[in-house]
Amino acid sequence: MGAEEWSDNDDADKVPLQHKRPFGSGLRRKQVVFVPASSGPLDSVNETKPPEPSKSVADMYLSIVLPTENGDPSTGTVETNVAGLDICDICKLPMDESSEGTDAGRLPKRPHQASIAHQVCMTHSHPPSSLDRSRMGLGVLQAQGWDPDAGTGLGALNQGISFPIKAKPKNDTLGLGVEVPKDFVPKKKDKPQMLDAKRVRKMAAEDKKRHEKLRHQFFGNSDVEKYLGLG
Amino acid sequence: MAHIPNSQASRAPGCARRCKYDPTFAMADERSSKVSMPERKRSWSPADANSSTKRMKVEDDDKKAIESNPYLSHWNDNSNGYVNGKLPPGSALNQFKRRETTAKQAAKAEDGDNNPFTGEPHSEQYFSILKSRRNLPVHKQRQEFLDAYHKSQILVFVGETGSGKTTQIPQYVIYDELPHLNHKMVACTQPRRVAAMSVAQRVADELDVNLGEEVGYSIRFEDKTSSKTILKYMTDGMLLREAMHDHALSRYSCIILDEAHERTLATDILMALLKGITQRRPDLKLIVMSATLDAQKFQRYFFDAPLLVVPGRTHPVEIFYTPEPEKDYVEGAIRTVLQIHASEAEGDILLFLTGEEEIEDTCRKISLEVDELVRETDCGPMAVYPLYGTLPPHQQQKIFDPPPAPFKKGGRPGRKCIISTNIAETSLTIDGIVYVVDPGFSKQKIYNPRLRVESLLVSAISKASAQQRAGRAGRTKPGKCFRLYTEKAFKEELIEQTYPEILRSNLANTVLELKKLGVEDLVHFDLMDPPAPETMMRALEELNYLACLDDEGELTQLGSLASEFPLDPALAVMLISSPEFYCSNEILSLTALLSVPQIFVRPAQKRREADEMKNLFKHNDGDHLTMLNVYHAFKGVLGRGEDGKKWCHQHYLSFRHLSSADNVRAQLKRIMETHNIDLVSTDFNDRDYYTNIRRALVAGFFMQVAKRENNKVYRTLKDNNSAVMLHPSTVLGADYEWVIYNEFVLTSKQYVRTVTGIRPEWLLELAPQYYDLGSWEGQKDVKQALKAVADKMRRRAAMKASR
Repeated sequence: MGAEEWSDNDDADKVPLQHKRPFGSGLRRKQVVFVPASSGPLDSVNETKPPEPSKSVADMYLSIVLPTENGDPSTGTVETNVAGLDICDICKLPMDESSEGTDAGRLPKRPHQASIAHQVCMTHSHPPSSLDRSRMGLGVLQAQGWDPDAGTGLGALNQGISFPIKAKPKNDTLGLGVEVPKDFVPKKKDKPQMLDAKRVRKMAAEDKKRHEKLRHQFFGNSDVEKYLGLG
Repeated sequence: MAHIPNSQASRAPGCARRCKYDPTFAMADERSSKVSMPERKRSWSPADANSSTKRMKVEDDDKKAIESNPYLSHWNDNSNGYVNGKLPPGSALNQFKRRETTAKQAAKAEDGDNNPFTGEPHSEQYFSILKSRRNLPVHKQRQEFLDAYHKSQILVFVGETGSGKTTQIPQYVIYDELPHLNHKMVACTQPRRVAAMSVAQRVADELDVNLGEEVGYSIRFEDKTSSKTILKYMTDGMLLREAMHDHALSRYSCIILDEAHERTLATDILMALLKGITQRRPDLKLIVMSATLDAQKFQRYFFDAPLLVVPGRTHPVEIFYTPEPEKDYVEGAIRTVLQIHASEAEGDILLFLTGEEEIEDTCRKISLEVDELVRETDCGPMAVYPLYGTLPPHQQQKIFDPPPAPFKKGGRPGRKCIISTNIAETSLTIDGIVYVVDPGFSKQKIYNPRLRVESLLVSAISKASAQQRAGRAGRTKPGKCFRLYTEKAFKEELIEQTYPEILRSNLANTVLELKKLGVEDLVHFDLMDPPAPETMMRALEELNYLACLDDEGELTQLGSLASEFPLDPALAVMLISSPEFYCSNEILSLTALLSVPQIFVRPAQKRREADEMKNLFKHNDGDHLTMLNVYHAFKGVLGRGEDGKKWCHQHYLSFRHLSSADNVRAQLKRIMETHNIDLVSTDFNDRDYYTNIRRALVAGFFMQVAKRENNKVYRTLKDNNSAVMLHPSTVLGADYEWVIYNEFVLTSKQYVRTVTGIRPEWLLELAPQYYDLGSWEGQKDVKQALKAVADKMRRRAAMKASR
């Protein structure tokens, strides 16, 4: 069964009944097109080999970002360069920065503590949590050593999530990835209108008027009207 | 619950054969062997073929019984020739050394003529199953598994669905663990009740034993084990409950946590518990089985335990995406199914949708469309089956029917199409599925601790979940998976892993269980994914209001008692305090009714008839009492010996759920009796009969109250401050300003379901701590109303006093 058979559905009504194609009753005859996955088929036979624990992406990343001491010569050179200067305890950078940056001359000299590198490295305090301090639950957790203001979660290493998971209710049948325009307003179903005598009379009068107008446009003749004294 | 053989027994296994024959005791043994005969009948046994061998066997049994020690007959059930604590004579397992066996030895034992566990001859069926078992992927790695098992206390085992891990690994373990020699069992947990039951049945068949004897299962409100049980399948929740009384799980020598990747609440708690127990009990082995490759997380969590991987799926699955997002995923799914039926080769279809209503609706549409398709083209027939949790079992069973035959000989083959919720994603395995249609949604439970609402929401699945779904297509031959979203959406919009249940649930029950399990420090309890602090705080507070925990978070007597019941804390507290209101019988029935799915049936085509029937039972004060009316009527019908099933059908009630409520009631009653909770009732003709019940309801559900705002809108109280409507199914005759509700339903509108009217005085009287007006911010009008009520009560009390 060829795929093109589905596509020309516009003239479906002209086709004799016995030649009608499937998907008749409720649905528009539109084909759902699919494209194969770019990554190829899901092949577990090759896939099920467990990745070596030590060769994970995380480890690879770490080996790039944090090279071992002897493997990378650049760290050594830095150390020799800065050997004569005071090293800041917090950001592990030399205290005197004026010799470094090329545009340092233009800017007024800042104290080391104000530099961005130093600021970022400082342990900063979070704003206090908004939790109600009188809650019994908070008291119990605090007694067991949880600090609401630290911004940490529960768990052996305080590694848990800090806030509950949120979810949006979904009440439509929009597919995954469909973007709804922001000003989209779902169509409201029209309620069937109740008719009363007055409204029916009014509608009939409107109908009559429209009919009269149409008749006039089709069959009216300005000469005849002039003759009859209507125009 | 199977009891542990006493200590004398455990020391005595060797002496049984040395003792002399005593005729009087042998008589008793003979009798017991006869009694147990019908029990041993197997449903599948080719009875006629080997009935003669069976008879022979019984005589053999008697001889063996003579040999065994008569003094131990009070705990020996010799009827099968198998003695607890001792292997049957001639068993191949006699030469086995615990935790030192090899796959070769085990294979030899399995090939033997007699069952090594029972001593009975193997049936024909056994050998045919054995053959198919040896074709399972996991079989090839039996030795590898045993080696890893011997070397390490904790083992992480990864096997894709279909590798046979759920049925085979526990069997490998019992052949190695020899549980009867040390009187410790092997437990295998399952997240779902159905899985626990069906897998236990399958494994009993594979081992050629009767379900409930050597192999049993234990699920909430049902225990099918005996003193002989050596391998026990159970829900993870049941093992957790056992741990509440036996903190070290000392009855088990090996615990297998199956389907750990599903990360159910109970599995997560068990993992944290077992992590501690294995440290304390070096003899306890733990196997964590998972179906996905995310096993490294488990490894890391369990002290870098060794990992064993068994390939499962043997066929590749081709994956297709849509080039554009689908406007309407339901319609897209229907068309995709029809397209597959019209143009793809033989093979069954599995379509994933979100909920019961959607599934039933789609089933109908597809059936109609297929009829059309068949009329117009030479398509084969297609059978469409729904599949969801609340579907009656006989209908669920239909999905295993073979696909329909072609219309005429040589015509195009028929196929079946199964439309399922995500229960077909991991647990249920349906052979023959070649095509999977995945719209990318499922219903997920999410708990909002700020509103205190647990709701089922349709949300996008995770990548892991999508891969799992796709994998379902490759079970029998190379398959195809049609995803109704773009590849870009897959990569960018789906999260990696589904959030574990512990992050999405109300933890009140869990905290109560943890307290009972002896976990003091909730903050540093070593969970794999600790929940949000706010969720934990809310759980503590809820339990505090229910008086299950004191202000320091310590378990109270009430809390300890409440944890004995396999119920939500609110229900348990209601049940425990019901004797104070002279209506514990009624509250017990109600608790059972609230623990089972909806008892009222409302078929789409017969809504009006169903509603009329429901009105027969209507109680003006609300749904709880209406349900109670139904239950009493149901019991009346059963009591008169009438056909309950027919009666239920006529009255649009679910016989299955009512019967299971009846069963639950019996179980709860037993627990109440062991804890000396009185079962009392108010005289039915008493004016306060129903008032007492409503007051008892308030004692448990005072945190789920709504007050009417205007004509139809109610507002729920305190933190959960939201406008709600009464669910259309509600029967509330009288005009009540204050109601309690059982369920908060979040759909396109917010509803409260199962509602009963109450009086505000009861709130102040029964839950003064929760309705303490001083510590309550916001909701001024509600507070004002309550204040007025309080004043009125005070005045009335003063008047009474002065009189």
